[in-house]
Amino acid sequence: MKELLNFFIEIGKLKKMPRKGWVLIGVKNPETVAGHTFHEAIMAWILAKEKRINFNIERILKIALVHDLCELYAGDTTPYDEILPKNKKEWPKLFDKWPRFLKSKKIKKYLRQHKKERASLIKLTSKLPPALKKEILNLWLDYEKGLTKEGRFVRQAGRLTTLLQALEYGKESKRRPYKSWWIGSKEIIDDPLLVDFIRVLEKKFHQK
Amino acid sequence: MLFYLAKQFVEGLAKIIRSKTNPLTTGDFSKIMAEEKKFYLTKQGLERIKKEHQDLKDLKFAKTKGEIPKIWHSEDINPEYLSFREDLSFLETRVAELENILKNVELIKPPPKEKQNIVDLGATTLVEVDGQKDEFTLVGSLEANPSLGKISNESPVGKALLGHRVGDEILVSSPIKTIYKIKKIKYRTI
Repeated sequence: MKELLNFFIEIGKLKKMPRKGWVLIGVKNPETVAGHTFHEAIMAWILAKEKRINFNIERILKIALVHDLCELYAGDTTPYDEILPKNKKEWPKLFDKWPRFLKSKKIKKYLRQHKKERASLIKLTSKLPPALKKEILNLWLDYEKGLTKEGRFVRQAGRLTTLLQALEYGKESKRRPYKSWWIGSKEIIDDPLLVDFIRVLEKKFHQK
Repeated sequence: MLFYLAKQFVEGLAKIIRSKTNPLTTGDFSKIMAEEKKFYLTKQGLERIKKEHQDLKDLKFAKTKGEIPKIWHSEDINPEYLSFREDLSFLETRVAELENILKNVELIKPPPKEKQNIVDLGATTLVEVDGQKDEFTLVGSLEANPSLGKISNESPVGKALLGHRVGDEILVSSPIKTIYKIKKIKYRTI
């Protein structure tokens, strides 16, 4: 039980960890990693139910809950991290474009990040009972690699959660509508229901 | 009169049945689509699915016999399997899912030479977007992972690229307009 308590204390720190993308565009009091997880879990669960196919909802919820635990020691990353100019004032402007890389660079970046996040998750779960430790690692792996339909769905619902948050921040502070969130989502999301949901977002946030 | 009432009753009943069960009237195609959908896989992807299917079948067999499967003894184990341990119903669902994939699979093969200048499944396409170069391989939904440069043929951008040639400019409204200019298309066995 002592190990479980330590684990709960550690993951609680995610309630104070701001998401890096919002920090880079200068959002005041940005959403935390735990806040994002809450939003993603609810969205993934309810949208999965909307699909009316044979989803394992418990698995959907578990994947959503554990998917960002790895950020505790690995930190939150954004696709912009390697191209950030020194002048912080230029950071928000970067988000007008989705950062583009050749395939070999993408693979290199992905593998480096995957290794770092895996190590973080192993460290975080090292004192947990073996079955629980493995379960958490496997759920995260499913999210990362899209091994099951649940893993693929949560990953895409996660992208939608981030898009929604970006649009809300854009509305709140009257920032320009960051092009990158939209186009990135249209490359990542392929689930028909979630693609439809993007259209609902377009109507709400872009049609006067 | 009696005939008219009977006819009205039968028609009314038929209407209720149609509205509750017929996907043409309910619009609930999701279950049917899930069963009839084609799954496009690369050779590598198909091998991975076949292996997982076989491993899970072995695992299921071992579980019903109360044995610990050999794969759990290995250090170099694909950790994917371990989370299924406590959940037999999920294991069964997954086996059924894999069987459905294998039943409806279509292997992605490079098109004939004269069609290799057109974007199709399996094509790696070099594009220019907003003055930057990017590269995507177009794959089926099961293998898509944009972080690795593999995008789904069912995603809005994947769909828009399909059927285009080098030099074409494809407009994707996102709702902000983005243009993908195709610079190069290549195929190789994947």
